[in-house]
Amino acid sequence: MKSFIVTRSQINSLAAELLSKNWSIFTQSEDRKRFKQCESESEISVDGNGKPSDVSFKELFFPKSETLFYFNRDNEELTLLDPAEPGTKTVIFGAKPCDAASVPVLSKVFNWDYNDEFFNKRVENTIVISIACSYSDESCFCTSVGLSPFSEIGSDLFLIPTEKDSFILKIVSEKGEKFINEFPFMIQKEFEGTFDLENQKASFPKEKFDFASVKEWLGKNFKDEIWNEVGELCLGCAQCAYVCPTCHCFDIVDENCGVSCGRRVKNWDSCQFGLFTKHASGHNPREDQSRRYRQRVNHKFNYYKQRFDEILCTGCGRCTRGCPVSIDIAQVLEKIQCKQSAAIV
Amino acid sequence: MNQLIESAKDIFQNNKAAIIIGYTKDKSGRTKPFIAHNSDEAEKLTFNHHAVNNLAVYLTRLEKPKDGKIGIVAKGCDIRAINALIQENQIRRDDVLIIAMNCNGVVENQNEEFSKENTQIKCKYCQLRTPNNYDFLLGELEDFELPEDSQQELMNKLEAMTPEERWNFWESQFGNCIKCYACRQVCPLCYCEQCIVEKSMPQWIETSSTTRGNFSWNLIRAFHQAGRCIGCHECERVCPMDIPLTLLTRKMGMIAMKEFNYKHGMNINEPTLIGTYSTSDNEDFIK
Amino acid sequence: MNIYKPELVEIKEIIDETPDIKTFRLKFKDEKLQNNFSFKAGQFAEYSVFGEGECTFCIASSPTRPEFLECSFKLAGKVTKAMRKLKIGDTMGLRGPYGNSFPLEEMKGKNVVFIAGGIGLAPVRCIIWNVLDLRSEFKDITIIYGARSVSDLVYKYEIQDWQNMPGVKTVVTVDPGGETSDWKGEIGFVPSIVEKVAPKNENTIAIICGPPIMIKYTFPVMEKLGFSEDSIITTLENRMKCGLGKCGRCNIGSVYVCKDGPVFTYHQLKELPDEF
Ligand code: SF4
Ligand code: SF4
Ligand code: SF4
Ligand code: SF4
Ligand code: SF4
Ligand code: FES
Repeated sequence: MKSFIVTRSQINSLAAELLSKNWSIFTQSEDRKRFKQCESESEISVDGNGKPSDVSFKELFFPKSETLFYFNRDNEELTLLDPAEPGTKTVIFGAKPCDAASVPVLSKVFNWDYNDEFFNKRVENTIVISIACSYSDESCFCTSVGLSPFSEIGSDLFLIPTEKDSFILKIVSEKGEKFINEFPFMIQKEFEGTFDLENQKASFPKEKFDFASVKEWLGKNFKDEIWNEVGELCLGCAQCAYVCPTCHCFDIVDENCGVSCGRRVKNWDSCQFGLFTKHASGHNPREDQSRRYRQRVNHKFNYYKQRFDEILCTGCGRCTRGCPVSIDIAQVLEKIQCKQSAAIV
Repeated sequence: MNQLIESAKDIFQNNKAAIIIGYTKDKSGRTKPFIAHNSDEAEKLTFNHHAVNNLAVYLTRLEKPKDGKIGIVAKGCDIRAINALIQENQIRRDDVLIIAMNCNGVVENQNEEFSKENTQIKCKYCQLRTPNNYDFLLGELEDFELPEDSQQELMNKLEAMTPEERWNFWESQFGNCIKCYACRQVCPLCYCEQCIVEKSMPQWIETSSTTRGNFSWNLIRAFHQAGRCIGCHECERVCPMDIPLTLLTRKMGMIAMKEFNYKHGMNINEPTLIGTYSTSDNEDFIK
Repeated sequence: MNIYKPELVEIKEIIDETPDIKTFRLKFKDEKLQNNFSFKAGQFAEYSVFGEGECTFCIASSPTRPEFLECSFKLAGKVTKAMRKLKIGDTMGLRGPYGNSFPLEEMKGKNVVFIAGGIGLAPVRCIIWNVLDLRSEFKDITIIYGARSVSDLVYKYEIQDWQNMPGVKTVVTVDPGGETSDWKGEIGFVPSIVEKVAPKNENTIAIICGPPIMIKYTFPVMEKLGFSEDSIITTLENRMKCGLGKCGRCNIGSVYVCKDGPVFTYHQLKELPDEF
């Protein structure tokens, strides 16, 4: 698909026009905490050099708490009411490649056999404009999970900063194309050169582990001392899952708002909580933290791949940066890869 | 940190403890919690200005070793937590071996150099830089004046607010909570076998992460820490949404001090504030 | 379509099975739904009490008797506690049917052994009636059912019918100490009764449901009796929430119990990580 040259001020104009047409615009907050909603075009951040937000943008597709339906017990009759459809058209400016890549990964689980329309509607209504990433720190590892600071997977439009305040705008998806065609001033100047990706590779974060070996080891070694080593230190919060762009476990609960009405809600949940697998009888198949951490790693780097042919991780490093006890998931995987190499020799 | 490694090795060689909970530096240079099980692993122990975690949290989380005590590397604020756990009958003094560190303050950001100005807030009002309960005391205390307590300013500002303004302040803060419960998991004094949010019969707290559900969670946790919080600021450090949680717990600690002249975790022989009742109690704070 | 929104059902009848187990007979409020609802033996559903939440149980009635749906539940948590308070005529929610089913086609032309313990008889009862209603398509049938005590036996009113049927061998047992003075059945734990009854393994499929401990001790007995790992079938009581393969709760290895199960052969179970 085509690429165009755009300037920062054109991007601002795009945002301004969207706002005037009542679109919602989200961008990384200045403190790089999360994606926040913008009130003015001046707030949007298209900064390839910034740290990934502490919390991923997944809540824009899969909110931390979402109403599934309302129930009402008025005049003896019970009625169920669907919540308003998430109808707002949304654009996300300045997502990282490791954010955007999570959308198709999540889409798999939300759409096998049964389709989760809550998720789908939001995806449908959202345009993801990502920006090539020039940040990296000791927690990043996108290149170990098949992505890179230039991955376009999951984006509708992709920005590559060239010189100051100027960008190459690549059209990535059909949805992105349809969207941008509505704004002719964005597609005035076609970019006809070629962008030399090879040149950039030297600055990519180095590959920390070989995914295939990790997966192979996980498939063969369910019981291993490594889980105790990590499990002993892991505190079993769900910070890692809640900031993660790909974790998608949830709980379903009812809430009353008065005697006769209430709602059923879908709330984030995580395999790191002890209660997650506890049966009503008291039996808990994952009774300690080492088993729960093992599930985390296996689900991400083994089971999900088997089931949906995707790695349930984009290497964004959020879980590591935020872990209260600095458990570095990439270091755990490096260790696993060493175990696998040792097993082969 | 040769001194620390030497004592740790000595502890293992003479079977004075089965494990030692301490800090290590990982290959990316982060200082983080680590458990040494033998004298080889003891080589990896370290202590420095980035040793922020309150390791006392592990005392109630780890299974008690069958063959000896739990050794723990502890700075002043960790010691306060250990003392508090002893006061609350959660652990026995005899079951732990405390390797205390004189502490000159810690810096939260692993990539930032230490200076006394950029220490964590807790260090700026710390009264226990030299621990008061230990088996070994290591490290040198540098003599310097504590920098200004920057949280105090915010507390004054909050106090000056009208109740409505204050409500709005907390509403915007708690609105951000994602209920990851990292604040609870990292807290050495949140050791309940079943947290109140996990009780469903009856359901005390809405588990949804909505403003209402978040308020009940954050406030109830704060109340459970009334006069118990030992000021390690771990909850606030780990909160992914940067909610200033210690404003509440610290404030309640200050009330306990003012009204009852009590500070939790300072003396293992003192009865706890919450566990004692006297007819002469001052009730000024309930209005 | 909102996959999380249940249909409304009305409680038509309540049967007190034991001190802590009840059976509800349910009918969709919408007649069309009732007529179109179809399911297979072994499938489960999500039942809701609005304001309390959802709970997972197998469908305990047989697909051959589509006039109503039945579920049996034991008091275990918040939702079952609320269910116990419901009366005839009350409204509940139902989503389903979900999951795979017992291999009915494969069982045809074979002998079938049903082994159940406690409330584990609920899914088995569903397939028992299914088989009995198509009696001529199956060979010999053996039913072995046990509970802690006489008062803990469920579906007592039907066990009688099974016992009276020709070509059906029904053995009922209670744990030692659980018998009453007029108890005429067996006394002993299910695994040892299975060993005593010793059903033949040739051309036979065995369906086993019950508490984990019973299953654990019954499998080796079956192996001893010469049953192959593929001819032993069970259903997993893994904690489920959504039933739709989304919420992650029932995940064991790459398997989602709610989608790939709840029915598994002993062989399949052995391949899974030890997490159930
Ligand atoms: S964030 Fe860290 S401590 Fe918390 S559950 Fe994840 S790995 Fe464990
Ligand atoms: S597991 Fe960690 S690194 Fe991977 S996507 Fe999730 S937060 Fe990012
Ligand atoms: S890692 Fe755990 S919380 Fe995340 S999706 Fe997998 S099972 Fe769910
Ligand atoms: S609060 Fe005191 S003991 Fe704790 S880290 Fe700071 S200076 Fe050290
Ligand atoms: S750590 Fe922060 S976001 Fe997480 S539950 Fe506590 S207050 Fe909420
Ligand atoms: S019950 Fe939700 S995924 Fe199976």
